[in-house]
Amino acid sequence: MRSDTTGFWTPVALSADIPSRTVIPAHVSAGTIALWRSQAGQIAASADRCPHRGMSLSHGFVRGEALSCIYHGWSYGMSGHCVRIPAHPGLTPPETIRVATHAVRDAGGVVWVAEGTPASDPPSLDGLTPLRSLTIEADRAAIEAAAGVPANADGLIEITRDGEDLCLLLSGSQQSQTGVRTVVHVLVATGSHAPQRIAASRNVERLRRMAETASANGNVQ
Amino acid sequence: MTGSDPAPYRQAMLDEWYPVGLVSQLDRAGRHTALMGEPIVVAGDADGRPIVTGGNGRILPVKVRYGHVWSSVGAPTKDIFPIPEADQPGRRFVDVGVVRVRCSPLRAVENFLDIAHFPFVHTDVLGAEPHTEVLNYTAEIRPDVDEVWATQVKFYQPQASKSASGGITTEYMYRVPAPTCSVLYKTCPPRPSEWDVITLFVQPLAEDRCDVWPWMALFDDETSMTDLIHFQQMIFLQDRSILENQIPRLLPLDPGMEIPTRADLTSIAYRRWLKRHNFTYGAQLVAR
Repeated sequence: MRSDTTGFWTPVALSADIPSRTVIPAHVSAGTIALWRSQAGQIAASADRCPHRGMSLSHGFVRGEALSCIYHGWSYGMSGHCVRIPAHPGLTPPETIRVATHAVRDAGGVVWVAEGTPASDPPSLDGLTPLRSLTIEADRAAIEAAAGVPANADGLIEITRDGEDLCLLLSGSQQSQTGVRTVVHVLVATGSHAPQRIAASRNVERLRRMAETASANGNVQ
Repeated sequence: MTGSDPAPYRQAMLDEWYPVGLVSQLDRAGRHTALMGEPIVVAGDADGRPIVTGGNGRILPVKVRYGHVWSSVGAPTKDIFPIPEADQPGRRFVDVGVVRVRCSPLRAVENFLDIAHFPFVHTDVLGAEPHTEVLNYTAEIRPDVDEVWATQVKFYQPQASKSASGGITTEYMYRVPAPTCSVLYKTCPPRPSEWDVITLFVQPLAEDRCDVWPWMALFDDETSMTDLIHFQQMIFLQDRSILENQIPRLLPLDPGMEIPTRADLTSIAYRRWLKRHNFTYGAQLVAR
């Protein structure tokens, strides 16, 4: 998570986990957003609340190039403008009906959402391929402590020790109902074969338990 | 709110009657539940008469009507609203049971008043695309009875009820006679001259939690009681998936918070009526 005075990119999900015509909830420091991919494959991010009756848009559905609310089918285009109100098929929705959108990039197999106005592109992940995402019920400090190394400015943690090669990309930590949680993406060297991928998955599971145990025991500030 | 003075704006709703259980399920052990934040017990005495006990052991007002036990944590000055159809011969009365929903009791009622969601939430049952249009209808606050009424509501329904065999355009009338209760009058396929009655009685457990007690008075001699109950339970469980994911959980009465259209006339009238009477338990008054 590169931080500068104007903004930064948060890695919220892996590209492979949002196929065309799907929407998922994703987490940025401001809260939950609706992250969706259109039929044509374009990625978009909007506020997770339909302004009509407050329904969460991440529970909605994607048709064509629009995200629709599951409650009454109000549909929003990539730009956030309401393009359809099914109760009034003949009506062109006024310009004023819209949802806030976030700049989003699909790069290196990772979906990045802008927080603020980042001055640069998302960090390059050359040589690395995303493997999976997981949510750890602990904050970044607990994860860094369990890893034994701090994350760099891009939010990357690279661990190389006996029998353990692991590369993690940390998202921001969020407060949840059960405490703090952090979305973590596991990366492997591009071209890795099944044994390395399985090992990475096991290693991150071990790290997750360490971080969560330490966090639950209050060992990490 | 036991033991402390409730905020004045809540007083209006404290003195209302609310459903707290089914008469058919009264027992000596009692149902441990809550009413507007106060723990209550709804039990039957040796003769099967309901007794409702409040948090500090005080005996609360009680009435039996429409298959349900009604009570209040305040001092009701009015009787429970009338439903004349409840005394009409030939109707079957259906205690649907209870659905617990983590939402404002007012949001639960507002959803019940809404038809535009049928194609998306009750897909292929109460609505289906491309039949999404909500035709003009009338909604008003009737001054003589001081109730919200919506009339001439029409909607295409693939399976309007358990007894419907195919798609029909159903006509609806809605009534809100109490802040957490609504009565729906609906086209009755077996008896075109009559209306089926489906009610939503909502027990406010807290401002953001409620128990929904649907009840029906139908002309339907064929469908089994089990099927009638299952049909309504299915509908309300579909509604719950919406109600528990609306933001905010309380009903916003600030007009800037949500955007209604012509299809929402009933909701607009309901919100206006709630505001007029200070029925704001479960409402959010100022945008946060």
